[in-house]
Amino acid sequence: MNRLALPAVLAATFGIVLAGAGCSLKPQRSEARQAEPKYVFPHAPHVEGEVACVACHAGIADAKKLEAGIRHVQLPKTPSTDDRCNGCHDTDVTVEVPARNEPFRIRIDHAQHVAQVKDCRTCHVKLPEPGDQESPAPPMATCTSCHDHQADFNAAKCTPCHVDLKGYVPQTAFSHAGNWMKVHGSMARPTAESCAACHDQTSCAECHASQVTPARPSVIYPEAVDKGFIHRGDYVSRHIIDARADPASCRSCHGSAFCYACHTEQGVTTSAVNVRDPHPPGWATDTGPKGHGDAARRDILSCAGCHDNGASSTCVACHQMGGVGGNPHPGSFLRKHRGEADPSSKAMCSACHTQPLP
Amino acid sequence: MIRQTPLLAALIALLAASAARADTVEASSTTLLLLGQEPRYRGGSRPELVTVAPVFEILTITARDIENGFSDDLRIVLSTWGAIDLAERRWDAGTDGGRLTGDVTTGYVQAKLLDRRLTLRAGRSMIATGVARMIQLDGGQAVVVVPIARAQLSLSAYAGVPTSQRFQTRDGLKSWNPVGGTLAYGGRVAAGLPIPGVAGRGFELGASANVVNDGGETVRQEVGADFRVQPLRRSNLTLAGFGTFNLPEQRVAEVSAALTTTVTSKLHVTADFKRVEPSLLLSRDSILSVFTTSVWTELGAGATYNLGRGLHAGVDAHLRAEPGADGSGSDLGSDLRARVSWESGRTIAGLELFNLDAYANGYFGTRVWARRNLGKAFVTGDVLGTFFREDVNGQGESVTGTLTAGYQLPLGFTAVLSGSAGMTPYLEQNYDLMAKLAYNQTYRTAEVR
Repeated sequence: MNRLALPAVLAATFGIVLAGAGCSLKPQRSEARQAEPKYVFPHAPHVEGEVACVACHAGIADAKKLEAGIRHVQLPKTPSTDDRCNGCHDTDVTVEVPARNEPFRIRIDHAQHVAQVKDCRTCHVKLPEPGDQESPAPPMATCTSCHDHQADFNAAKCTPCHVDLKGYVPQTAFSHAGNWMKVHGSMARPTAESCAACHDQTSCAECHASQVTPARPSVIYPEAVDKGFIHRGDYVSRHIIDARADPASCRSCHGSAFCYACHTEQGVTTSAVNVRDPHPPGWATDTGPKGHGDAARRDILSCAGCHDNGASSTCVACHQMGGVGGNPHPGSFLRKHRGEADPSSKAMCSACHTQPLP
Repeated sequence: MIRQTPLLAALIALLAASAARADTVEASSTTLLLLGQEPRYRGGSRPELVTVAPVFEILTITARDIENGFSDDLRIVLSTWGAIDLAERRWDAGTDGGRLTGDVTTGYVQAKLLDRRLTLRAGRSMIATGVARMIQLDGGQAVVVVPIARAQLSLSAYAGVPTSQRFQTRDGLKSWNPVGGTLAYGGRVAAGLPIPGVAGRGFELGASANVVNDGGETVRQEVGADFRVQPLRRSNLTLAGFGTFNLPEQRVAEVSAALTTTVTSKLHVTADFKRVEPSLLLSRDSILSVFTTSVWTELGAGATYNLGRGLHAGVDAHLRAEPGADGSGSDLGSDLRARVSWESGRTIAGLELFNLDAYANGYFGTRVWARRNLGKAFVTGDVLGTFFREDVNGQGESVTGTLTAGYQLPLGFTAVLSGSAGMTPYLEQNYDLMAKLAYNQTYRTAEVR
């Protein structure tokens, strides 16, 4: 089947989804948050004056969910005559609290919490003041002071309390500070599901799924100059050195097919139409440092970039039993396999061992 | 992947149709035109240059919290692309085939069941835990977390067909991709003891296994162990470790460990160690897999420091032990990196230095980059120079530079124009142009439960 068929189907699906989404969803851009009006109410003096929060936040004690556009704010119309206010307010102050429509990022049942916690300041340790663009979210420590979320955290059960974790930066566990790119693999192996709480696999695949990605991230996003993208700039020249310095690093993402596609275009593979020999003179026959034997024992993955071709590998012609190449196996291999059943009965071994060992 | 394509497409298409009722939908579309030159060797004394001009369309959609009657947080993640080569076929489109290429980078459906203790994933996804080594499968994965008193037991299992190199072109041996094969399966069992008080604090110990078959032959068969420890109340000090044992060869393929900690609010430190036998990363049905047992080791540490006023600095140093000339003994080398970045208002800039000293060759390099936001417009610059210890293709250095300008259009669109030029060992002078129209948008329902 043509490989384009699937992307074509998915592209059509994408269009359908977007069309449907456009009917019922509102776009959520970063500018939308910036476009929200700034806070106007001075919370600090009212907290200092120990004014009850519900004096202004009417209905919050009964709210079972947070809804965009509903802020549960109803300021007393005549504070000078309201007993909750007239201790400080001699005159009526008019404060127009602008509407805010940004969806909440937290799901919480205030009715349940207010009934049990009583003091709003237990969670709302910091409040927005006039001029603030956003309201400070209650720190998660306030949640964990009552709720034992440790198991949830370790199991990456962040929803349903968090709508999603986009935009949150880990501050304690899994802090991405330092040389995170270097250690993130080791940190992720035991806890990949925790990573998945924030990262969909699209972000992993951009670097790790080289077999199916369209191009390097630095090619697709040249404007993201501050990102730690892999293989920036003229990596073609550096890859020769990197591949020999840390072949396992290349191999963890790239198979021989990746090497082969470009090397064939450059005429440096055995199956290229116009072959040019990339090896120095004496490569095939020298037994010392200039020969291929030492190089292969040192770094077999560099050989594999071109020569990993199963039974039709160029190695077989000389290294098969009775061939001029002799025995290529390292000592440890011989110790482990000595006395095993007839190697000519195994598919891979039979490429060289066409007959039972004597 | 080819045999699974219709089923996968049908599955994703069916479920994607419900994404319109998701709480959050993120969508992006990137239309990309590249224009550049690549060397081709077609006989004679030197390669010739050909012009490549691929046009890409990259689509990504993520829908979370899709309303349904059977699971929590039903999620669809899909990233796919198609390309057409307007001029010569680019090298990474493969060595044969037509001008049209495309693939699915990621595409899976995820659901959480049993009070979110069971996670099911189906489609094209990666397996990141344990010994799977980021294998990407067309298949399924299940992860279940079982609480036992204060501890928790985590079980995961997966099975599927490993994705293959999209430009796989050779006959002969089937598996020559590190994750190639016709069937992969495995899983992980882990026990964890979360400690209340600080997010992430606790212990986790896991054991995992991974098997890949290719046409009936076993090409990978590994078991592994991993752990994560965050022991302290007042620190995020975290230590993680991992080991892989290759069952067919009865040898340790890889051992690694990493440590990360925020020492002060301004200083963060990492350290890591890795010992690997690269030959064990080859398929077990590769002739080359029985030629060597060489070992490569790396040990190092790094630190980043917030200098204030938007200035951050970081250094990273690793010692490396490679096999000696004949594959035995050790040759010591190093990998050093330093980075300074600065952010002030609408400007960010950075300087990176790196030096690799390896057995076969080495290089010193520097990269300077900057970005300036100008209202809805932005410009970026990026220059990367590398100086080789020993010449590459007869040349001692490589310098490339990129200038990019972009403008944020209405309705979530961004237009970007980028040009690169350079002098490299393989191209005396090279120029590349890129034009991009990107659409990035997040949709949310008006009501959040």
